[in-house]
Amino acid sequence: MSNNLPTILVCDDSLLVRKQMKDCLKECGEFNILEASNGQAGVEAVRLNKPDLVFLDIVMPDKNGIDALNEMKAVKNDIKVVMLSSSGTKTHLKAAMDAGASDFIQKPWEKSQIEHIVKNIR
Amino acid sequence: MFSQYFGHYLLNKGLVKPEQLADALEYQRSVHLKLGVIAINAGLMTPAQVEQIHNLQKQVDKRFGELAIEKGYINEDQLNTMLNTQKQGHLMLGQALIDRNYFTMEQLKTALENYKKESGMSNRQFNVIVNNDTQEIEKIFLGFGENQMSKAYSDYTTLLIKNIIRFIDDNPTIEINKSKDDVKVSWYARQEILGRLNFNTGIACETDVFVKLASKFAGEELSEPDELAQASVGEFLNLHNGIFLVNMSNNDIELELHPQEVLRDFSLRKSNSQYVISCHLNWGRFDVILG
Repeated sequence: MSNNLPTILVCDDSLLVRKQMKDCLKECGEFNILEASNGQAGVEAVRLNKPDLVFLDIVMPDKNGIDALNEMKAVKNDIKVVMLSSSGTKTHLKAAMDAGASDFIQKPWEKSQIEHIVKNIR
Repeated sequence: MFSQYFGHYLLNKGLVKPEQLADALEYQRSVHLKLGVIAINAGLMTPAQVEQIHNLQKQVDKRFGELAIEKGYINEDQLNTMLNTQKQGHLMLGQALIDRNYFTMEQLKTALENYKKESGMSNRQFNVIVNNDTQEIEKIFLGFGENQMSKAYSDYTTLLIKNIIRFIDDNPTIEINKSKDDVKVSWYARQEILGRLNFNTGIACETDVFVKLASKFAGEELSEPDELAQASVGEFLNLHNGIFLVNMSNNDIELELHPQEVLRDFSLRKSNSQYVISCHLNWGRFDVILG
């Protein structure tokens, strides 16, 4: 990105979630916000734009969030990825942490949770 | 939580005038639910017996429950159950209608009986679902001959009621039936749950309800079944299923979800292992398909 703002990628197959997340991020500060609607598109967005932070859903078509997380880490090892999912089962939680996720937020999220994560970005 | 739906029923049947319903709905906020109304609703006493106890209370300084036991109309266990009855919306409205002299006890009894009958629910099923009782909901599935999945389905249904109240509308009326016929629906959001328990879930409804449901969940007014509305209904199903998976995971049952999808003009084939959980709101009805 040409400006100096942090870049955040929101990767979720739901248009509603992406919209609500973008609205929430705009209330939390100034960011470049990117969107991806499936895991594969999310990995491509990381490859192209090297975002500072990714909010990543788990249950998605065309590559689930755990597989996408592994590939994102391979592209940019220090990338900060926060899983944002309705299905925070023990299996998903463990898989996400094993793959290097920095946090896990169970949907529906509270604005304060997002604020807390984005305030120390970079 | 059922007051608005029961209110609409009374209005549609011409049993109350709009201004009477508005007055009673306002008044019910401060209403004190009396044991007589609970006893009539539970089928434990007749209106005449309730009136008799009320008249006796004018002569002797005793409580309603005490006198009803003395007269042999109820026993102590039944009294305790009545005392534990939560503030049920439809009963609060019933009490308000009586207190405001729009209904007699007899009229309320008849209206309640017809309301339950026309909702397609037995007395027991109605009270169980109002009280959100997981074990009793399981008995409903067992009653349909569902042995393998009854516990999971009752957990699913109990959580569904909570999530409808949490995210959509605080006045749902729920009925559970086996799928009986092939049905064509305008919209069908579906998602498969996989793992040790394997079943399909879906939300079926017509366009007007689809848009309203989408608006309620999105928290904004949507006017057509566009991509955002489809995403909203799909995400409500996905969120509910995700929370169900977390609850199951806490009980050491690990499950997975397929991504949800939303389909237009879908034909639902009847299946003996499929259930229809009809969710009646005062703005329409949608069906949750399970099985």
